Amino acid sequence: MTAAALELRQVTKRFGDQAAVDRVDLVVPHNKVVALVGESGSGKTTTGLLALRLLAANGGQILLDGQDLTPLSQKALKPFRRQMQVVFQDSYASLDPMMTLGEIIAEPLGIHGLFTAAERRDQARRWLEKVGLDAGYATRYPHELSGGQRQRVAVARALILGPSVLVADEPTSALDVSVKAQIVNLLQDLQADMGLSILFISHDLSVVRSLADEVVVMLRGRVVERAPTDMIFAGARHPYTRALLDAVPVLDPKARRRRSFMSAEEISARTPRYRAAELETQPLVDTAEPQLVALAGSHFVEAIVTG
Amino acid sequence: MRLVEIEDLHVSFSQHDGLVQAVRGVSFGLDSGESLGIVGESGSGKSVTCAALLRLLREPPAKITAKTLSLSGHSVLGISNRAISTLRGRVAAMVFQDPMTSLDPVFTIGHQIAETILAHRKVTKREALAQAVELLRRVEIKNPGAVTNYYPHQLSGGMLQRAMIAMALSCEPDVLIADEPTTALDVTIQAQILQLIKDIQAETGMGLIMITHDLGVIAETVDRVVVMYGGKVMETGPVEAIFSAPLHPYTRALLNSVPGQTAGKQRLVEIAGSSPNPSHPPAGCPFHPRCPLAVAECRQTAPPLETKAAGRQAACIRVAAEMVAA
Amino acid sequence: MTGFIIRRTLSMLVTFIVVSIVIFLMMHSIPGGPFDGNEMPLPDNIRDRLMAQLGLDQPLYVQYLRYMWGALHFDFGVPYQSPGETVMGLVAHAWVPSLVLGGSGIIIGAPIGILLGMAAALNRNSWIDYVASALATLGLTIPVFVTSTLLILVFAVWLHWLPASGWGEPKRWILPILAYAAVPLATYARYARSAMLDTLNKPFVTVLRAKGLSERRIIFQHVLRNSAIPMVTVFLPMFVGIATGSIFVEAMFRVPGLGAYFVSSIEKRDYPLEMALMLLISMLFCISYLLSDILYALLNPRIRVDGSRR
Repeated sequence: MTAAALELRQVTKRFGDQAAVDRVDLVVPHNKVVALVGESGSGKTTTGLLALRLLAANGGQILLDGQDLTPLSQKALKPFRRQMQVVFQDSYASLDPMMTLGEIIAEPLGIHGLFTAAERRDQARRWLEKVGLDAGYATRYPHELSGGQRQRVAVARALILGPSVLVADEPTSALDVSVKAQIVNLLQDLQADMGLSILFISHDLSVVRSLADEVVVMLRGRVVERAPTDMIFAGARHPYTRALLDAVPVLDPKARRRRSFMSAEEISARTPRYRAAELETQPLVDTAEPQLVALAGSHFVEAIVTG
Repeated sequence: MRLVEIEDLHVSFSQHDGLVQAVRGVSFGLDSGESLGIVGESGSGKSVTCAALLRLLREPPAKITAKTLSLSGHSVLGISNRAISTLRGRVAAMVFQDPMTSLDPVFTIGHQIAETILAHRKVTKREALAQAVELLRRVEIKNPGAVTNYYPHQLSGGMLQRAMIAMALSCEPDVLIADEPTTALDVTIQAQILQLIKDIQAETGMGLIMITHDLGVIAETVDRVVVMYGGKVMETGPVEAIFSAPLHPYTRALLNSVPGQTAGKQRLVEIAGSSPNPSHPPAGCPFHPRCPLAVAECRQTAPPLETKAAGRQAACIRVAAEMVAA
Repeated sequence: MTGFIIRRTLSMLVTFIVVSIVIFLMMHSIPGGPFDGNEMPLPDNIRDRLMAQLGLDQPLYVQYLRYMWGALHFDFGVPYQSPGETVMGLVAHAWVPSLVLGGSGIIIGAPIGILLGMAAALNRNSWIDYVASALATLGLTIPVFVTSTLLILVFAVWLHWLPASGWGEPKRWILPILAYAAVPLATYARYARSAMLDTLNKPFVTVLRAKGLSERRIIFQHVLRNSAIPMVTVFLPMFVGIATGSIFVEAMFRVPGLGAYFVSSIEKRDYPLEMALMLLISMLFCISYLLSDILYALLNPRIRVDGSRR
């Protein structure tokens, strides 16, 4: 078995005495898109920062293509940084307003000391075209662009180093509907072209459905369910995943219905229960604490296991 | 008498680098008990239209002109500050996008609801506070008495939006205008707030204007829809008709571009290009640069909003009669 | 809230002690000593005896501890430059004119500045705003000695309305107070304007309008209260000016205040006086920061209601 492009094993991050991310396992296989979904406070963004080693974990391991990054110093990480890049939600804040788009896109090459200045300029222009912008934009500034165009620049900057893993944190959330589709398509095309593996962090289940191969659902720092996308949308097992799916507005006025809402207590009261014999792997039996257990078809759910 | 009557509304902002034409000739109305959705992307002019209706824009830089702009029969154009403030909150109340920044951080929730009541009604402070408790109970806040003593930072976003709705309801307005009321909230909270707004509208029979960029929110909440783009109305009609057979190419493109409508990883139907720049809107139909059906005439003259079928209007010369029939 | 005040007070005391040590070390790190003047060099043995008498031969930490122990009992030693007095007496005596000058300057400058800033913010981009901003910028950029010279030139030399310098009768106070007031006036005007504008641009102000509140109520109840929160942090520390007056204004108008002693005590390595003045200023700064923190917390429910965490 080959190593996954990105893997998190039992990663934990505490802020004060609160665990923002609690023993999270996550696998992004090569050339796949894994969506990390959850609401505010779920720890999904923190998990992304931990994966990028932009935040130090309190425990667990982060592996990039099988190589454990956890013991490495920031300096020793530098070569690995080329392999793993990020796009954030707010492209306006993440692009230096004083730099031209060409400079912004070429900057990572300069940081890693790649190519001559002239070659870097050429690369930047090529990447502008690759993300669907005119090469002439190289001399323009971020404020001259629309939100969607800026997000294209952010994607170009992230991918110019040819990373194997892209962490995209809500990259389409600030965009208009008609532009959102453009960016989702751009990510899909580039993913196919470059064989990228993407960790797509989002609260938008509609985008996730069209883009992701697998979905990981987080709730209060824990992974509560993980399954291939179709399985999540067709047969979610965890009550929280179901509540999330149920809350998405339906595009059909004829399908209007009254929803019933569950409180946090009701959701934890309905944690699924399984007998050990029903499961694919052998879990710990008779612990009161819920654990992530394997069902058929790479479907994992947090559940209480009885003997 | 219509609750809201807007006829040929224009709003522009003078800025150091020129004039921004945010709204360019918008007309629509709202009958009592009706719920109307205004859907559009950023820069479509949907929020500015409603801010103009309550005269919430700073003038200058904003400049508002219209043939008619009225709330429950009261014209809001050319009236004094004092006159408009007696209409705000009483005739038309508003709920905004981000509840975290919509309340004054240094006063309690109870104080802020009570002051709204005191601004419009002759009651004592004590009575106003008692009403605030009742209003909070009505928006399904548990222990409303305690919550009146809370400061905004002590409540979650969902709770604050409930409190904002309670505040908007406090003077029993004829119209509730909700400007992206769920955009800043988590998905599960969004659904709860939409349900609450629907319930209250059904209960009170007030008019509702729901401003949103989210077609799903429109599909879930309103009876009639106004689709805006580039400061103009592209299409209006009953919600079911709009979703089942959109007339305007923009509405159609917008509906098709919504992700996640069918199962499976797939490329989405995108609308090429980007929204028009409100400082330099294109001549003719604002959508023509992105429209697959555009012809020469679309680039020259902006098509008027015309009735194409019963209760349905569209601003497009390319909407053929047979499409309407279909 | 009580816990907050206690924590703040303790941290203020620690700050004060650290600052006093730094000042003491800096003071002694300037080369030379009180008896190293060139005009009348003292014989070495007499110098050594004087140094021993004043305790200056001791290690620095002993000197520091001795001084601070005295200071705790309000004994700040004897100024080398006038051995007939005590530091305490000298400061108390010279402080009065500085206090009058600084106090009146702020009492006049602050309210005018705040009103000016408010008027500018409420009428942004109008002529009121432009005039107020121009005044504020002038007040902050023109050095005090230029303002002072202008005042003397106009009111004393040309118009003969007021005396050019001195302190005795209240008539002589007017020009220095005006010169001194320019700075707080300009500072407060600028801060009041930006704090007000900041609040006016907050979304909740639009919500208040949409509720149907009158503009007056919005400004006086909501906007002012919110703008006051960032302003208190600038407000109180400026009051330290009351203690120190302004060295330049005092020099320009020959006001017999503390200002002159700042310069002379450093020049003459008059350690007890220098240290006393520095301790006085640091103490005032610490207290004003403490007070502004407390006031800030009182105005801001985020801190008042759930303590300083969160």
